[in-house]
Amino acid sequence: MRAALHAEWTKLRTVAAPRWLLLGAIAATAALGAGAAWAAASVDGGATTVPSLIGVRLGQAPVAVLGVLVIGGEYGTGMIRATLAATPRRTAVLAAKAVVLTGAVAPAGAVAVLGSAAAERLILPAADGPTPRAIGGSVLYLVLIALLGLGVAAIVRDAASGAGAVLALLYLLPVLTRAIGGPRWLQRIGPAGPDGPWTGLGVTAGWAAAALLVGGLLLHVRDA
Amino acid sequence: MSPTGIVVAGLRKRYGAAPALDGMSFSVRPGVVTGFVGPNGAGKSTTMRVILGLDAVEAGAALVDGRPYRSLRRPLNRVGSLLDAAAPHPGRSGRDHLLWLAHAQGLASRRVDQVIEQVGLAPAARRRGGAYSLGMRQRLGIAAALLGDPPILMLDEPFNGMDPDGIIWMRAFLRSLAAQGRAVLVSSHLMSEVQDVADHLVVAGRGRALADAAVDDLVAAVSEGRVTLRTTAAPHATAVLVRAGASVVAGGRDTVTVSGLPADRIAALLGAGAVPFSEVSAHRATLEDVYLELTREAVEYRAATSTEVRR
Repeated sequence: MRAALHAEWTKLRTVAAPRWLLLGAIAATAALGAGAAWAAASVDGGATTVPSLIGVRLGQAPVAVLGVLVIGGEYGTGMIRATLAATPRRTAVLAAKAVVLTGAVAPAGAVAVLGSAAAERLILPAADGPTPRAIGGSVLYLVLIALLGLGVAAIVRDAASGAGAVLALLYLLPVLTRAIGGPRWLQRIGPAGPDGPWTGLGVTAGWAAAALLVGGLLLHVRDA
Repeated sequence: MSPTGIVVAGLRKRYGAAPALDGMSFSVRPGVVTGFVGPNGAGKSTTMRVILGLDAVEAGAALVDGRPYRSLRRPLNRVGSLLDAAAPHPGRSGRDHLLWLAHAQGLASRRVDQVIEQVGLAPAARRRGGAYSLGMRQRLGIAAALLGDPPILMLDEPFNGMDPDGIIWMRAFLRSLAAQGRAVLVSSHLMSEVQDVADHLVVAGRGRALADAAVDDLVAAVSEGRVTLRTTAAPHATAVLVRAGASVVAGGRDTVTVSGLPADRIAALLGAGAVPFSEVSAHRATLEDVYLELTREAVEYRAATSTEVRR
């Protein structure tokens, strides 16, 4: 397992895309957060409250794509066969990818969320600002979204359709459930969130766990 | 048999209704280059994926050093493999590609630089994989196969996309690997590529091994009973010999291959018919002949089934 982790870490750091996606996530999260705070400040001097850390809703997109690329990209080049020839224990491969992904997304997510919180505080000094719980929850949320991307890509075995599927889950599903209306549980059925500090994190975690479980099972039984 | 090399026994696998492997069995011994030839679709690549534990089979087993590949802990130290189209990430340098593979086996980075030197990739090692020619990708693949210094090497179509220099280099390289006592399995859909390299031949067709024998034995078997005739009057000679019950196949320039009649009888018939000829000798089949002879049925079968499908 240690060797598999080392290999996955080397893979992640030797191409440019993960760096750019993580920088993009930081920039998007902070920029949308600052923009929303600035808009609230300029409309009525900050009397309107904006959802704190709203920038996460934009920053989650590059994070999800990174999760997809970690395995989906290998199916595109055929490199997955080299990976599985080097590490025949397939569950170990997926686990190593999940751990390395978490290790990369967690610090970048922390920078993104803290940057967004700092920008909000600077622009709207009167507002309460996000609680530490909200900050922690948002970082955890970003990690879960990355893992969801990894699991979905392991299922569909293609980067483009994997990214399409995850982004649709994050952005299209909430619109659809809202349009349909219906009971509250239906509104909360998608992986997107969180509405508040920890609200919805359980649902997101459920999605990520289910995707990884199904992806891991299929990886185990299917021909590579 | 001692449990070294590769043993493939009775592999069966189907994709949908079409059988991909239909009882594929052969073995690869240490110290020799084994050529794995057959027309496209004969099951060569599928067999190699099964050996590497990438594809599952419905029946049969493939063992490396007496064990299934998926039970090996650091497999690249036992089996080095090059799969067709096993491409590196286009944005990752060749050296970094080898680096993650080395790390997956707990090998030091020093080993990466050694194999880069060994395959002559040093000038391009730090370039992006996307900028590699097919020949360079093949050298990178060979380097990856050598990383763990394995006693078994398995290369799928390693000559693909190589320039003539590269092909000559590859042949010498494969021979040297076998001379070091390694078991080397090399697949190709072109017999000419493994000619002069392989000591042993596995000819695949329709998902099974049509032959699994030493090259010399195969050539002798196909040559048996055939006579090469050199004549400037090939049509006339053909007419005379066919009338006497022989079958005649055009060979190279001014030569035909005759079967069904012994050499002395051929000479007598041509003399009686006043047909000029300069040589009558026992035919020495080329590996190409062996291949065509063995795979003819398999190719015909494929042609027949594809017509049926069209209808």
